[in-house]
Amino acid sequence: MTDFSFSLLTGETGPLVKGARPDRLRVPLQGHRPVLAEGDQVLAGTLIAEAGDDRGDMHAPLAGTIRAVDRFAMLIETTDDGRAEPQAAPSEGGDILRRWLRSMGIDVRPLRRAPVLIVNAVPPEPGISIHDPLLRDYRKTVDLGLDTARRVIDHSRLFLVAARGNRANAFADCTVVHVPPVYPNGLDPLVVRAVTGGETLPGRHPDNAVILSVRDLYFIGRVMETGRPVTQTVMTIAGQNRLVHVGTPAGFLVAEAGGGVEDGDHVILGGLMRGIPALNIDQGVDKDTTGLHILSKTRAFVPVDGPCLGCGECERRCPARIMPGMISRCAEFKQFARTETFHIHSCIECGICGYWCKARRPLLQYIRLAKYELALLRSAIVPADTPANDQGRSRPADTRPEKNDA
Amino acid sequence: MLRPQRPILTVSMAPHVHCGRTIKGHMGETIIALMPAMVMAAMVFGMDAVRVMALSCAVAVTTEALCNRLAGRDPAVDDLHALLTGLLFACLLPASAPWWLVTVGSASSIGLGKAIFGGLGATPLCPPLVGWAVCRISWPKAMDTNTTMLGTTLPDPLQQLKFFGTDAVASLDPMALFTGHQLGGLGAVHIAALLAGGVFLLIRRHIAWEVPVAFIAGLLCTAWIYQLLDPAAHAAPLLHLLTGSAVFGAFFLATDPASSPIGRIPSLIYGLMAGVMVIIIRVYSIYPDGVPFAILLANLFTPLLDRIRPRPFGGPYTLTQEKEDQATCVKHCG
Ligand code: SF4
Ligand code: SF4
Repeated sequence: MTDFSFSLLTGETGPLVKGARPDRLRVPLQGHRPVLAEGDQVLAGTLIAEAGDDRGDMHAPLAGTIRAVDRFAMLIETTDDGRAEPQAAPSEGGDILRRWLRSMGIDVRPLRRAPVLIVNAVPPEPGISIHDPLLRDYRKTVDLGLDTARRVIDHSRLFLVAARGNRANAFADCTVVHVPPVYPNGLDPLVVRAVTGGETLPGRHPDNAVILSVRDLYFIGRVMETGRPVTQTVMTIAGQNRLVHVGTPAGFLVAEAGGGVEDGDHVILGGLMRGIPALNIDQGVDKDTTGLHILSKTRAFVPVDGPCLGCGECERRCPARIMPGMISRCAEFKQFARTETFHIHSCIECGICGYWCKARRPLLQYIRLAKYELALLRSAIVPADTPANDQGRSRPADTRPEKNDA
Repeated sequence: MLRPQRPILTVSMAPHVHCGRTIKGHMGETIIALMPAMVMAAMVFGMDAVRVMALSCAVAVTTEALCNRLAGRDPAVDDLHALLTGLLFACLLPASAPWWLVTVGSASSIGLGKAIFGGLGATPLCPPLVGWAVCRISWPKAMDTNTTMLGTTLPDPLQQLKFFGTDAVASLDPMALFTGHQLGGLGAVHIAALLAGGVFLLIRRHIAWEVPVAFIAGLLCTAWIYQLLDPAAHAAPLLHLLTGSAVFGAFFLATDPASSPIGRIPSLIYGLMAGVMVIIIRVYSIYPDGVPFAILLANLFTPLLDRIRPRPFGGPYTLTQEKEDQATCVKHCG
């Protein structure tokens, strides 16, 4: 685990490889409302679930039969080919185009009118090089995506942000901004700061700018080119970039890359600093999954439930200039409201604090827990699908008087 | 769906990699940094010093184990913090310290300094200094090197300075002081050895540079100002640095992770305050060496200093409480 480096240099990357067809797909649903049920037949590109917000609808990546539907995923057994008819893109721009893109599975949350468009070509995490082959070999598609995005955003200035030392060919009339090739410089809030100089609270949209990654542009371009919805993601697996169907089980990808998983291993969807752990090897990849890692029991970091030493190492390394140690202490004792006095909302969830903590505390986990509990605390309505014991657990904290906050 | 999944994966939250450091490693390396001073102590003060160090460590570890038991916690002796605390406390004692003094002091370092505040990381004061203060105030005679180490030819510069003035220390060779030819805490007087240990800690990044640098700067500047005011009554800055437990305090006590502030500016202010206080105590108080009390006082300011924070990313923000009214209802339930 000590051979990990924060460098974002990608070096030479090979071409984008198309993944094989798995015979089962487990398409993840993030607050999507399924429109089809168990037993239904689907073609590749059939709408299977509608998004509750601007995240983009979910379509069947491959033709097949729906075998199971639950809150978090839809299991599709794939059969032979069969594709839904392509759709024609609207000729109007603006909101009409935006709605159409949403119905084609594009996450349109960032797409708003703004004077500046920032294209993020910096690898989001070390070891993830998804942007490189897209910028190099799929230039036409990315350019088309950029033109389409312009019809919604209507920006007057364009910036391309790349890590210094990585190859990135500029677009027409764009300013190239280089950032040092070290994690976490590829995360959106820091990329926006590198361009505009202003800091935006993580999770908010910047005031006068829109940020899209090269991958976002590529998928917008693909939708325009083919008239078919996005049902794929680009992932770096063992240094190779692959175009993978959404819902492909992690185990399938591991086998394809020639690896194996044993009991006790960690399978991580995404990068090593921010990625999501797979619950089992059947878990399907999502639209925003960027990588796949397998860590053996001995190489992976497993946090311990130890006390904070107060050494300040986390605080010294934190790019958001907050005190993760103190936030974790508050969260540990369920003083969620108090985490706000330590500016929990500024955390960009980079995971750097957890990487350096000598006490090996699960700092990012505490931070995410506190953010979640705070959201529940401040919301007037407890979500209907919160398990009953959850409500009881999070509610009393807000009635507790806050003594120590001046 | 409930059939067991093979293989069974481990699920843990991001980050999935770690720098590899541990608390035990931190404590262990701090003990290693103390090694040169311990060896010097054994060479200069002989078996007496070894006896004090061994007893202090043993008592500290036993007290820690007992406290863990009483509090119903998992035993935490293997993180080496108790051992380190015992060792740091021993370094502040004269080699002649009687067994009961070592026992009481070491036990109160852990008991009063650490356990009652909630253990590792929760200590508002540097634990070995708590034990030291208990002993120094309760049994000043036994803690006094001048009265207990009559059989030696080594000078005790701070006592001489206190009671006989600057003339008495004018003849002391700074080089001899630097290599530890003086009386005082059995480990705290070996300036060269401690400096080597401190540099090791800095290089291994177990301590940050701010506290020791600010501490030494504060000490030197204040001593220099006093000397400017009245050269006849006050000793040279260098003498203040090379005597007592100044260097020991700068690298090993003031940098205690839990009781020192985090953040650059707070650390600098904290170090400066402690350094300035050392000289003020040495000049005005009845205690010849001001270092332990200076650091304890500075520790008290830590929570205040910790409030000096840079602006958080994207500005301070608080989630507003949603009102329970019609509009919210419509928003949530459609
Ligand atoms: S994850 Fe940790 S290091 Fe990163 S911004 Fe949040 S608190 Fe700071
Ligand atoms: S790095 Fe870990 S032990 Fe150190 S202050 Fe942060 S949370 Fe506490």
